[in-house]
Amino acid sequence: MLKSLDPRVNRLNLPEQFEAPMASIEALDQFETYQAFVQLKEGKPFEHAGIVHAPNEEMAFLFAKEQYTRRGMICNALCVVKTESIMVSEITDNGQDVYDSFSGSFSEDDSASFEIFHLLKRGKQHKYIGNVKAKDFEDALLASKQLYPRTKPVYNVWVVRSEDILMSEPEDADLWNTLKEKQYREAIAYKAADKIKAFKEEQA
Amino acid sequence: MNTEGIKDLLYKMADDQLIIGHRNSEWTGFGPLLEEDIAFSSMAQDKVGQSYQLYNILNELGEADPDTIAFMRNADQFHNCQLVELPNGEYDFSLVRHFLFDTAELLRFQMLSNSSFEPLANLSRKIKGETKYHSMHANIWIKQLGSATEESISRLQSALEYALPFALGIFEPSSHEQDLINEGIFEGEDALKNKWIEVITAVINETRLSLPDFKSITPVYGGRMGKHTEHLQPLLEEMSEVFKVDPTSDW
Amino acid sequence: MYGGGNVFETMKATALADEDPVKLAEFEARIDRGEKIEPTDWMPQLYRKQLIRMIEQHAHSEIIGALPEGTWITRAPGFKRKLALMAKVQDEVGHGQLLYSAAETLGKSREQMIQDLISGKSKYSNIFNYPAFTWADSCFISWLVDAGAIVNQVANSKGSYGPYCRALERICAEESFHLKYGHHCVIHLATGTKKQREMMQAAVNRWWAPMMHFFGPSDKISVHSEILMRWKVKMASNDECRQQFLDMYVPKIWELGLTIPDEKLKKNQETGQWEFTEPDWEEFKRVINGDGPCNKERLAVRRIAEERGRWVRQALLAPKSKYVTPLA
Repeated sequence: MLKSLDPRVNRLNLPEQFEAPMASIEALDQFETYQAFVQLKEGKPFEHAGIVHAPNEEMAFLFAKEQYTRRGMICNALCVVKTESIMVSEITDNGQDVYDSFSGSFSEDDSASFEIFHLLKRGKQHKYIGNVKAKDFEDALLASKQLYPRTKPVYNVWVVRSEDILMSEPEDADLWNTLKEKQYREAIAYKAADKIKAFKEEQA
Repeated sequence: MNTEGIKDLLYKMADDQLIIGHRNSEWTGFGPLLEEDIAFSSMAQDKVGQSYQLYNILNELGEADPDTIAFMRNADQFHNCQLVELPNGEYDFSLVRHFLFDTAELLRFQMLSNSSFEPLANLSRKIKGETKYHSMHANIWIKQLGSATEESISRLQSALEYALPFALGIFEPSSHEQDLINEGIFEGEDALKNKWIEVITAVINETRLSLPDFKSITPVYGGRMGKHTEHLQPLLEEMSEVFKVDPTSDW
Repeated sequence: MYGGGNVFETMKATALADEDPVKLAEFEARIDRGEKIEPTDWMPQLYRKQLIRMIEQHAHSEIIGALPEGTWITRAPGFKRKLALMAKVQDEVGHGQLLYSAAETLGKSREQMIQDLISGKSKYSNIFNYPAFTWADSCFISWLVDAGAIVNQVANSKGSYGPYCRALERICAEESFHLKYGHHCVIHLATGTKKQREMMQAAVNRWWAPMMHFFGPSDKISVHSEILMRWKVKMASNDECRQQFLDMYVPKIWELGLTIPDEKLKKNQETGQWEFTEPDWEEFKRVINGDGPCNKERLAVRRIAEERGRWVRQALLAPKSKYVTPLA
């Protein structure tokens, strides 16, 4: 048996040598990916935080909560969307507004509900802009173009059907109630200048 | 106020949270998928943090400081139920224990939110979101794995049958039960157990797992009185290995 | 926690010959303007390949890096240290998740990367092949290995690939907790009892050589292409990172009365550069190729974790679910 300095590893009873390489599996056990968006404070826009791998949306929510909102002093809400459910526009650069490339006019058909996210700077996060009612994805882009006037160029747009979003309920805001108590996760909790000073004085 | 009864209650709760938090932290870096590794670690931290806060209340009632209480006692001075000290085993057992224990945890803190003992009522209300998440996490996992593949179902079923007698040990009555009830401090282990059975049953009923008749299970008692399995003392020795190099120094 | 010293693919002179010159020019112009590249942009094959390789190595270094400190997770002395170490090791796993996600946007799946780690096909940071003998070793790692990683990661966060930059920004913010926590631990040991002090000094003695290796071979002997610098894949040279680390941390180690086991270590006041005994690059190569004190254990643990977790993942995999490359 492999002997480790880590008592946890010793409890795994690892063999000194594996007899064969790890069995390869036909299909890799890959889950779907979900995009997570976080709202730090009520009234602030949701921002894209990152992805999680999960087999379904409620597990994606469980995972995103700890991966993306376990630290910082505050968080108000979280939502997850299956990556597949996001319609992604073209991406532009160098001051070009991506909306300029959408031609046609909004159908005025408000039969479906969509949420719009903008990328305002390459390298930054997509931010939530608002809701539009439209016929389909393309139409939602046109509706958004009309509804949300822009002062700065938008480089990329994500469009999601509202029904495809799993969002924390307002009463779930208490999930983040004790964040500010978890100071041990923050750099600010580790001050020791006094100790160094005392030590130096003692040495001198 | 019935200080002895309160201390007894605080000790068993704090010891439970510490020992299960410690056990669950052993999974960090070894979990079945990265996201779950992170979630499970957060819950372990919550539990250790909760135990610290409970020991703090004890400290205010005249007991030693939290580090001394947690790191310097021997197994026979611990009041946790035996369920929490059992080795992690595979993820099936760890998950089932998480489900059985955290359901009780949620309900206990819910009941204590109305306790006449203010410090405990305050703490219970403060950590409401944490215990809610723990229970949400446990329920979703049990529902998923409890109705997925033949392997996952049979693994969970065996783990459930093994863990249930220990889980009933959570509700081992203390000699202070009636006093705590009379003074409005805690509704008592029996009341908690009845609610717990209800919730556990409802979740299991949504899976392909089955519960034995609770009346046929002999609960594993003793933990609350300091009687433990052979696993607790080594756990405590491991936990305090560095601390005991010099318990008076600052680490 | 990753210190650079990446193993890049050997590049052929013809690697760019097949690329569309117009698209290549647009791509390079975007980088020159200081704009980030996003996953749906056109990019040269070489850029994609080298980035996958680099980010993947970084991600592996995080999840393997969780193991040496994890050695002490059940033994941290006192509540404060116990909670902090749990959170710290958790962060390393979290960083792995973030970095795998960034690499995935380039088209390699996370599971494939993990398979390649376990089979030994892809590498991770050398330093995690050394054992953490005592609590003080874990304190050294939390403070100084993380400090070294921050030097590299801050540089890389100014690179050209959007998803990698986003991951690194988040990671660097978390690392500031690691650094302060680690420093706090080391201060307590170094200014503590005789026993604690000796423990800490012994850890410094053990970890110094791997720490000097951490940033990778000297630029004099490590060939990295000018093009990776131009494309802002590699942002700082190994020597620059090492010098920056020495500049920031050697004084902080010395002020605690600890000694560093290198008699030649000193700052040359004229050049402003640190001078030190040349690290043993033969050992570095030996360890990176599998012959270090813990290589076997680290990979075995990862493999067992994968194997023991397989039934869980298989059970959760709904037959109809389909993997989609993440967007950002």
